[in-house]
Amino acid sequence: MASLRDSALRKIQTIGPRFLPFADVATEAVPLSRLLRLSLFQVTVGMALVLLVGTLNRVMIVELGVPASLVGLMIALPLVFAPFRALIGYKSDIHKSALGWRRVPYIWKGTMLQFGGFAIMPFALLVLSGYDQAADAPIWIGHSAAALAFLLVGAGIHTVQTVGLALATDLVSVDEQPKVVGLMYVMLLLGMIGSALIFGWLLEPYTPGRLIQVVQGAAVITVALNLLALWKQEPRDRARATRVETQPEFRDAWRLFVQGRAAVGLLVVIALGTMGFGMADVVLEPYGGQVLNMAVGATTRLTAVLAAGGLLGFAIASRVLLDGVAPVQVAWWGTLIGLPAFAMIIAAGPLGMVSLFVMGTGLAGLGAGLFGHGTLTATMRAAPRAQVGLALGAWGAVQATAAGIAVALGGVIRDTVAALPAAQFMRPEAPYTPVFALELAFLLATGAVLIALRRREAGLFQTKHYHRALGRPERPAAFTDPQPRDRRPTGEEPHDDSRLTAL
Amino acid sequence: MSNDPDKVWPTGLTLKEAEEVHSYLIDGTRVFGAIALLAHVLVAVSTPWLG
Repeated sequence: MASLRDSALRKIQTIGPRFLPFADVATEAVPLSRLLRLSLFQVTVGMALVLLVGTLNRVMIVELGVPASLVGLMIALPLVFAPFRALIGYKSDIHKSALGWRRVPYIWKGTMLQFGGFAIMPFALLVLSGYDQAADAPIWIGHSAAALAFLLVGAGIHTVQTVGLALATDLVSVDEQPKVVGLMYVMLLLGMIGSALIFGWLLEPYTPGRLIQVVQGAAVITVALNLLALWKQEPRDRARATRVETQPEFRDAWRLFVQGRAAVGLLVVIALGTMGFGMADVVLEPYGGQVLNMAVGATTRLTAVLAAGGLLGFAIASRVLLDGVAPVQVAWWGTLIGLPAFAMIIAAGPLGMVSLFVMGTGLAGLGAGLFGHGTLTATMRAAPRAQVGLALGAWGAVQATAAGIAVALGGVIRDTVAALPAAQFMRPEAPYTPVFALELAFLLATGAVLIALRRREAGLFQTKHYHRALGRPERPAAFTDPQPRDRRPTGEEPHDDSRLTAL
Repeated sequence: MSNDPDKVWPTGLTLKEAEEVHSYLIDGTRVFGAIALLAHVLVAVSTPWLG
């Protein structure tokens, strides 16, 4: 019996690791193909965002006849969970598991939430719209079911994106982070564009049955892609589970995170800049249509111009950041490009110049790409290794909240001005100009905070002899480092952990 | 390695690891069950079956 047992154990050990979702411990460098696979979770996030904000928004209003105000409320619901990203990130930082994982359980749970939300969403929407016999059912069933579905998907998106980005940060060394950030942004954008096109094509002859198929298909694809993204990514650290160390409470961890450093300044920059770039998203197309008399197809191509500008921004940012330019500097360039972009968009209306408008839109995309890449890379770099989840949670909380508020604010300002009693005597661009002007104001504020932030960092570098580009003490520049790969296995962390010992 | 007293036959997991894997299975089943139940209720509201 004992020999049988031994041989069985030996056999399992030889075949085991290949079929288990664990990464090899102390992998040297993470190859690009593996990072590409990890970034698939961003595709599912992009798909969910498009489905919520774009596709279902339209289907609910046009095909299902749900009042627009109720639709707006439902779509805004996931925003409620955005601030909890910091808490989720922190929880994943201190998670203890016998299997030695801390990111995978959260990404899996987030995937389940996303799946569950999508699985009930089409039925909830049909009940909400009073389809068939549902018209006789009490109204609260539809309301609460749809709200639950949107909340589940929203909570899933927030969890998956926060912990997924934290896992990506865990996996690569500091000098490779720009590459990962670029990859994550590009995959998010590609996921959004691709799923928008595919959903539009699939829902073309709309039937309730087709809606169920499409949304539940999205649910299955979410689980499949996220599993594929997770497989063999996170190395196990079984010692973590047995280590007896007191973990800081969330409040203490947060205080530690914001203490002394430019963390708060960076978060303010992210909030202001995201508002500045984000408000135009929903008003660009109607502006082109109503003010510049562009056709429907032409305004759709505007979104493509915006996305192309963003992709170019990510590419440029990745390149210059890998060359050692400071991420805050890249965010600064993005802000600077945003200023003439929105000035051009404002001027295009009265001048009636479509080409100026398209150019401004492309520049706005470029600026947003540079800004987004720069600030996320700065967040990753500034995060101490033990607080990666918390740092990216804070980034996500601020970014998602600001983006949501910006989109809502842009729509509200436009509708309010257009509903004024004097509106019919105004020029057609009157409802839009305040939105773009407010974006300019937000970008100016972003620039001001960035200047303050850079001045403060410059002072820090001078007094503490920090390295200019990387901001960590007494290290040679990353690209001249003869053996950059040796850092992680030997336990010398490229991140600044000095504040953690303060606890 | 194979003589580690914590490892349980036949999986080679320790008891704690096995319990954790089991907890994922149980949680997953519960979530899937609840989602399926809710989906059925919603479908029954809009297109009732069984009369």
